[in-house]
Amino acid sequence: MLITLKDVYKIYGEGLESEVRALDGVSLDIDYGEFVAIAGQSGSGKSTMMNVLGCLDIPTYGDYFLAGKDVSELSDKQLSHIRNKQIGFIFQGYNLIASLNAVENVELPLIYQGVSPFDRRDMAMEALERVGLAGRAKHLPSEMSGGQQQRVAIARAIAAHPPIIMADEPTGALDSKTGQEVLGFLQQLNREGSTILLITHDNGIAATAKRIVRLSDGRIIEDHAQEVDWT
Amino acid sequence: MKLGQAFKMAVKSILAKKGRSFLTMLGIIIGIASVMTIVATVDGYNRKMMEAFEAQGTNKITVSLSLNSGESGFKKIYDYCMGIEEAIGVTPSAEMEGTIKYGAKTSDTMEWKDRPRVVLGSDQYSLCSSFTVARGRDLCSLDIEKYRQVCVLGARAAKTMFDYADPLYQNLMINGVPFQVVGVYAEKDANSGYSMDSVVVLPYTATRFLPNADNGNSGECVVKVRDSQSINKVLTSLQAYIDSLTQNGERGWGYAWSEQQWQEESNSMLTMISVVLGGIAGISLLVGGIGIMNIMLVTVTERTREIGIRRAIGAERSSIVTQFLVESAMICGVGGIIGIVIGYGGTNLAGKVLFEGMSLYPSPTITLEAFAFSVSLGILFGMYPAIKASGLQPVVALRSE
Ligand SMILES: Nc1ncnc2c1ncn2[C@@H]1O[C@H](COP(=O)(O)OP(=O)(O)O)[C@@H](O)[C@H]1O
Ligand SMILES: [Mg+2]
Repeated sequence: MLITLKDVYKIYGEGLESEVRALDGVSLDIDYGEFVAIAGQSGSGKSTMMNVLGCLDIPTYGDYFLAGKDVSELSDKQLSHIRNKQIGFIFQGYNLIASLNAVENVELPLIYQGVSPFDRRDMAMEALERVGLAGRAKHLPSEMSGGQQQRVAIARAIAAHPPIIMADEPTGALDSKTGQEVLGFLQQLNREGSTILLITHDNGIAATAKRIVRLSDGRIIEDHAQEVDWT
Repeated sequence: MKLGQAFKMAVKSILAKKGRSFLTMLGIIIGIASVMTIVATVDGYNRKMMEAFEAQGTNKITVSLSLNSGESGFKKIYDYCMGIEEAIGVTPSAEMEGTIKYGAKTSDTMEWKDRPRVVLGSDQYSLCSSFTVARGRDLCSLDIEKYRQVCVLGARAAKTMFDYADPLYQNLMINGVPFQVVGVYAEKDANSGYSMDSVVVLPYTATRFLPNADNGNSGECVVKVRDSQSINKVLTSLQAYIDSLTQNGERGWGYAWSEQQWQEESNSMLTMISVVLGGIAGISLLVGGIGIMNIMLVTVTERTREIGIRRAIGAERSSIVTQFLVESAMICGVGGIIGIVIGYGGTNLAGKVLFEGMSLYPSPTITLEAFAFSVSLGILFGMYPAIKASGLQPVVALRSE
């Protein structure tokens, strides 16, 4: 198994009256090469789950094994390396650095991998080409449309060719045509072998995934696999 | 992450906020410029004084001994010094009123600053006064013993009396008595007005031919000591010897002193002053450093989201620390360089105004130290903000607006 969650809780303000159980006893297995949609209404705990799965946040209770390793036993440095090399993040709301242009944003994960400046530029340009934005390499995020920024964020996630892609509402802010393009993209990466976690509140989009995990109030209320036709 | 990358990032971030970066630097600029001016001025002045002092010959003790019995004070000191291992030379150093003539030239009509001076010395005069012979020969012990009428000229005296003519083996008339020039000393002190190089050195025994001259009993003489460590030892034993001869003033009069003592005292005085002034200026550096810390904290807060993104994408804590440390070190380093440039001007100005146009510049050591100090200041005061930045949890930082 690539990912194993065992009875994971994420509780904000535990013991207080305002206690929020963003994850309320979640157990989940995800294998290599899957394409999983994590669906659910806003506030159901999807982003919290991605933060835990992406080693950005620590569960309050429960165990998380990534590729067989107990994440709670890893050092901050090891977690940084996992985020850097194993996972490509596409955040809700792009999260590009405003002072850096497109290609510099795409280069970020490569910088922290210690890739040499020339190779870095090549790899970043290649990623931008894949998302069709090579022509905008020198533009700042503020000079691009939402769809273009989202594609820069995708380019950044794939630039280092990580085996896992985690995308939080990647189509949320896009019109349906651009949204379809982004989906097609993730499907292509999955065909090439990447494991994809797609987070969405949109049932139509969730329906295109090979497996759907539905959250409600921090609990898994549905988990099923399906045949898909991605042509 | 490589350090070069952190440098690029720092340059970019500093240039993105030029005005703010400059204002932050201002504290460092003022601090470094003032500390540098103070320290470099005192240091430069000390060095110049040391040079002037060394030109006159170091490791010297001046002794004066005059005995009521009429015995030669110099002879007593000379004999006594023969028994002291550290004393390597003794010479009288009495100056004598005298008119020097060569051809139509006479020292009486010369301007005071050009006028050659008649000095009575022994064969060790050049050793004691750090002269070297440029032409001809030095005085020798036979000149003294045999009452030879010879003299050796300082470079400037030779120039004044002979111009382009060759002084060797010419006769100078001193108070109407002929003395043959047998040597010329090398130039020692080209700049000073009252030049060491204006001497005309006669064997001290020549007083026999010079009726008006002091017969050498004044006992004014110079003892050359092997090294500076020996000065105090020799000084003490000479003083004790003089006291035993004069019986504390009853049978004569005498003293021994060394310019080096005075020099050391004056040096330590100046160093004290520079420490006090430098300390006051140092406070402005401290204030500047706190300013850096303040601005770096603001920067970290402003860039919390950026830090979150970098951490989420795989930056280690140490990479974040490096990024912000390099940035604050660079602000301080650039401020330091500007401060150093101003400090050069300040030191030069201080030399002109305080020390009668002396041209002073900070030494390379002080310059390097000032730069290293400003960079360390940046690292020191950037440490807390940088560590604070690196301690942010990725999720928390990402969620901030
Ligand atoms: N830092 C936090 N402090 C308190 N409550 C939080 C925090 N982050 C998320 N929550 C709460 O946890 C629940 C799940 O949030 P989230 O995972 O962002 O939902 P989703 O992404 O599905 O919209 C929500 O009720 C939200 O208010
Ligand atoms: Mg969300």
